[in-house]
Amino acid sequence: MSSQQPPTELDRNVLTKTRDARATGVDDRFNSRLREAMGSTPFILTKFDKFMNWVRGSSMFILQFGIACCSLEMIHAMMIKHDVDRFGAGVPRASPRQADLIIVPGTIVSKFAPRMKRVYDQMPEPKFVVGMGSCTISGGPFQEGYNVVKGAEEVIPVDIHVPGCPPRPEALIYGIAKLQEQVANGETSPVVVKPYELEEFGNMPRDEIIEQLSDQINEDDLAMRYNWGDSP
Amino acid sequence: MLQAVLQTDTVLLPERLVDLLRLGEFGVVGEFIAGLIAAFLVANIMLIMTAIAGPWAKRKIRARFTDAIAVNRVGPAGLLIIIADAVRLMSKEIIVPEGVDRPAWELAPIVVALSALLGFAVIPMGSGIHVADPEVGVVFVFAVASLASIGLVMGGYASNNKFSMLGGLRAVAQNIAYEIPLVLVAASVVIFAGSLQMSEIVAAQQDTLISLGVVDIPMWFAIINPFAFVLFLAANMAEIGRNPFDTPEAPNEIVAGYQTEYSGIYFVLFYLGEFIHIFLGGAIIATLFLGGPAGPGPESLGFVWFLVKIWAVFLLTQWMRSAVPRVRIDQLIEIGWKGLLVLSFLNLILTALIVGVITV
Amino acid sequence: MSTLEEPEVEPDGLDIDAVHERLGDRVLDTEEHINAPGIIIRADEVEETLTILRDEFDFDYLACVSAEELPDRYETIYHLKQFADPTRELSIVVPTDRDRPISQSAAHVYETANWHEREAYDLIGIEYDGHPNLKRILLPDSWTGHPLTDDYNQDKPQVVSYKAHENPLLEHTKEDDGETMLINIGPHHPATHGVLHLKATLDGESVVDVEPDIGYLHRCEEQMCEQGTYRHQIMPYPDRWDYASAGIINEWAYARAAEDLADIEVPEYAQILRTMGAELCRMAAHFLALGTFVLDVYGEFNALSMYAIRDREKVQKLLEDLTGQRIMFNYLRLGGVAWDIPEPREQFFDDTRQFINEDLPESMDEVHDLLTDNEIFQLRCVDIGVLPPKQAKQYAATGPVARASGIDMDLRRDDPYGYYPELDWEVVTDDGCDIFSRVMVRVREVEESAKIVDQCIDLLEEWPEDEREIQANVPRTLKPDPDTRVYRAVEGAKGELGIYIRADGTDTPGRFKIRSPAYCNLSTLPVMAEGDFVADLIASLGSIDIILGEVDR
Repeated sequence: MSSQQPPTELDRNVLTKTRDARATGVDDRFNSRLREAMGSTPFILTKFDKFMNWVRGSSMFILQFGIACCSLEMIHAMMIKHDVDRFGAGVPRASPRQADLIIVPGTIVSKFAPRMKRVYDQMPEPKFVVGMGSCTISGGPFQEGYNVVKGAEEVIPVDIHVPGCPPRPEALIYGIAKLQEQVANGETSPVVVKPYELEEFGNMPRDEIIEQLSDQINEDDLAMRYNWGDSP
Repeated sequence: MLQAVLQTDTVLLPERLVDLLRLGEFGVVGEFIAGLIAAFLVANIMLIMTAIAGPWAKRKIRARFTDAIAVNRVGPAGLLIIIADAVRLMSKEIIVPEGVDRPAWELAPIVVALSALLGFAVIPMGSGIHVADPEVGVVFVFAVASLASIGLVMGGYASNNKFSMLGGLRAVAQNIAYEIPLVLVAASVVIFAGSLQMSEIVAAQQDTLISLGVVDIPMWFAIINPFAFVLFLAANMAEIGRNPFDTPEAPNEIVAGYQTEYSGIYFVLFYLGEFIHIFLGGAIIATLFLGGPAGPGPESLGFVWFLVKIWAVFLLTQWMRSAVPRVRIDQLIEIGWKGLLVLSFLNLILTALIVGVITV
Repeated sequence: MSTLEEPEVEPDGLDIDAVHERLGDRVLDTEEHINAPGIIIRADEVEETLTILRDEFDFDYLACVSAEELPDRYETIYHLKQFADPTRELSIVVPTDRDRPISQSAAHVYETANWHEREAYDLIGIEYDGHPNLKRILLPDSWTGHPLTDDYNQDKPQVVSYKAHENPLLEHTKEDDGETMLINIGPHHPATHGVLHLKATLDGESVVDVEPDIGYLHRCEEQMCEQGTYRHQIMPYPDRWDYASAGIINEWAYARAAEDLADIEVPEYAQILRTMGAELCRMAAHFLALGTFVLDVYGEFNALSMYAIRDREKVQKLLEDLTGQRIMFNYLRLGGVAWDIPEPREQFFDDTRQFINEDLPESMDEVHDLLTDNEIFQLRCVDIGVLPPKQAKQYAATGPVARASGIDMDLRRDDPYGYYPELDWEVVTDDGCDIFSRVMVRVREVEESAKIVDQCIDLLEEWPEDEREIQANVPRTLKPDPDTRVYRAVEGAKGELGIYIRADGTDTPGRFKIRSPAYCNLSTLPVMAEGDFVADLIASLGSIDIILGEVDR
């Protein structure tokens, strides 16, 4: 029992350090045990960090992921004329396992939100998210819909928001270029939202709705509770 | 005519290294070290070529075909993307999905990448770069290259994913259907050269067929028997799984086929394996049909000519990729068994006739 | 009920008295909708009545099923039409009790009623007796309540279950013989053109069964439109139904219904502008259809899909000049359009002519070169994904999908609107019924659209300057009479895009129902794909050309 105390202390220490790193603009995503061990700014590691940031910022595989209207402008951004491949971000991968960047191009509705979360979870770290269009910011023109999730950040963390309905391909490319700049400078935005988690149905706090659904959903099925009244 | 061919004497790269580094006094150990160095050199040449082809050349070529520009911001002409892509892919998290068949899942990418690399051991690349020259060179290269399909089916099966499974099965069906025509067409070259040894096959194509004034048309097998050349090109496309025969990883049907679940370094190995395979296909074509490293100019330029030839084959695969639809898996098998197999038997008879005429 | 005004289009040739006589006692009452006469029948005689109408009066086309909640009852309206002459319309109104909304299903008479009734059950809550598979279609299975009813509280939390298929490795065999395998194509899959989920049961590589699972982009378009005022607030939404640049056509569908409802006459000059805009949109949409279809058959990033997008980019440039936006045009207004051709007019005409007369023929040559003359392409597409005309009619397929099955119906010609009747163009049909015909129909429709745009340009250029009237007089607030109902359709890029509106006397619609062509066309996928290979399933799906925004609304 008592042996649990010191690690917690240490954890808190690490946590503070990370928080400091975050506050001073050093990204926490690439924090490694090695860096923790070698102190805050050893020369080799900082140079190596810089190099890795440059690498990650220069080249990205995009997940082939279309949702709604914005996906058309995304297609246009990837095809000739706009050609986002000029920035080294034009290789589409069909499998999330091989992608670095997921562009969320459109409205997310209740049925799709858990699936999108799963696709995001399937991507290997480090991964980045560009939210494209008003719908991924707030639900856009469909915000009042009974079925519309009010922004992608309700489900997954978003690094860059590109406003517009839909944004022009140029705007998307600007968004991607900005993201690359951020990554290259080691300052991707920290996760500020607590995304909705899928949890086992049986673990959800029992209330009227859960009781009602209990004969339809198995105890160990994953489910997401979405409270439409609480969202922005 | 054929007798003259047999007199050629090849000095292999390890032997040269033994001389150069004075390893002779260490006996077998020295030869072993020299072999290792030679293999290392050749492997690195191929890896560098794949590194250029995968992240950069492929995109640039595709862009040319489609009026686009492709990478041009990272370094001069986008060349630094090679480093960026390679390092980034290698540094990605490796996700091991639940329920994978662990040793097979991890071995698969290595088998794929290695099998293609091994094939280069017996390819004469000109300018004295030739690691080994066994008497059964042709057999060796096909045997090794087809190991890749074991890797593919291992990966597809072990991934525990239905799309991977389909991709793996497709890869096997396809490789079996096209391996036989491929080997049969190669056999026609063997009949022509009278040897299974790679150096002999290259040497057999050295002579001049017809002299048209200043231009000498060499006795390349592609010129003597264009029919066999076309057959081999087609079968090779299927063997390396490129358009129109890229069904094993058809992204719009089965996501990414056998490599769906692979990320990070394992994906790099698969990717690498694919490209080395394309180059190995090119190297086999160059050796069997295009006179290997032969070309105008001094013999030391041989390696350059060899590179030109395999890049030409690479270019062809990319051209096909942007212009030709993908055939369906059953049509592909049908083309393989009913079309190419029959044609390659015909080709054997045809070659026998040609060889008969030449020797008479 | 109410007999409000004379139907605008006379149902010529339709002998309504003969229908009454034949149906006899089954007719409880009649009512008059703006587009068609309505017959009210009992909820347990639906199947019988519709069978008579289908077999004896040639009503072979169930255009739409709209369900709605009224203060004292629920109602299902079956909008019947004839493929031979879509102006012969008949509405069958089936009222059901508020307490026990159970109505007999029409799914055994018209296959297309299957999905329509599932949607009505999902959103309104009417139960259909005898329906083969009555479960939710757009919303998740675990949803509680029916959102388009009055007492639905949308602030209540919902639990969305991830449920089935979260692990594709679980054994899902259809029969317990272990011979088949279920794969989930989508909702995130490169070939689904958005977020569609296909539950495909495979035997080896061939498809035994495929079941489209939609609703991953159900953005409550009908609710949005029911909340907006007729005059301005609804118009931006149609752009987002078929977002493949078919915006102006979608807007026109709403405009046509609302203008009929409010009795607005559109000036001729505005009609030409609308016609031109709509055809430019059709071209852009077909280019996208071609581009994405080619992606499915050729593999990613081949030259042809790039070229298709390049041409689409050119059309979008023209549309941007005309409307100010690339995709979401919001160009039409009730009674006209937002503005005239941009100044300098000559510039616009020159650009359009340049595209129509020079760039387009060139790229069409390219398309034929790379696509239709390609033998491997023909190997993949000819006689694959066959949709026989009879099935197409049963599933109410329209647009290029129906015309490629030899059904000669095009609302632009058969139910004329806009400026189409004055122009010289042809309806493209093909009786191949396969994937290849569907692609060819689209390619040739692009050429026909170009002809229409060319003629419109000539007309617009010669139009006298002082008669360029782009907008009719429309009252600031539109309040159509209560209980007027209208179902009006236009020929969308994917087929018949219909709007059903019931006015309730306020400035917002009481019920706004969208008949989406892609929704009905998608329901034909099992017919096309079953028995074929997985690759054919993907190609068939591509050839239907679905836009999920329109399917799920």
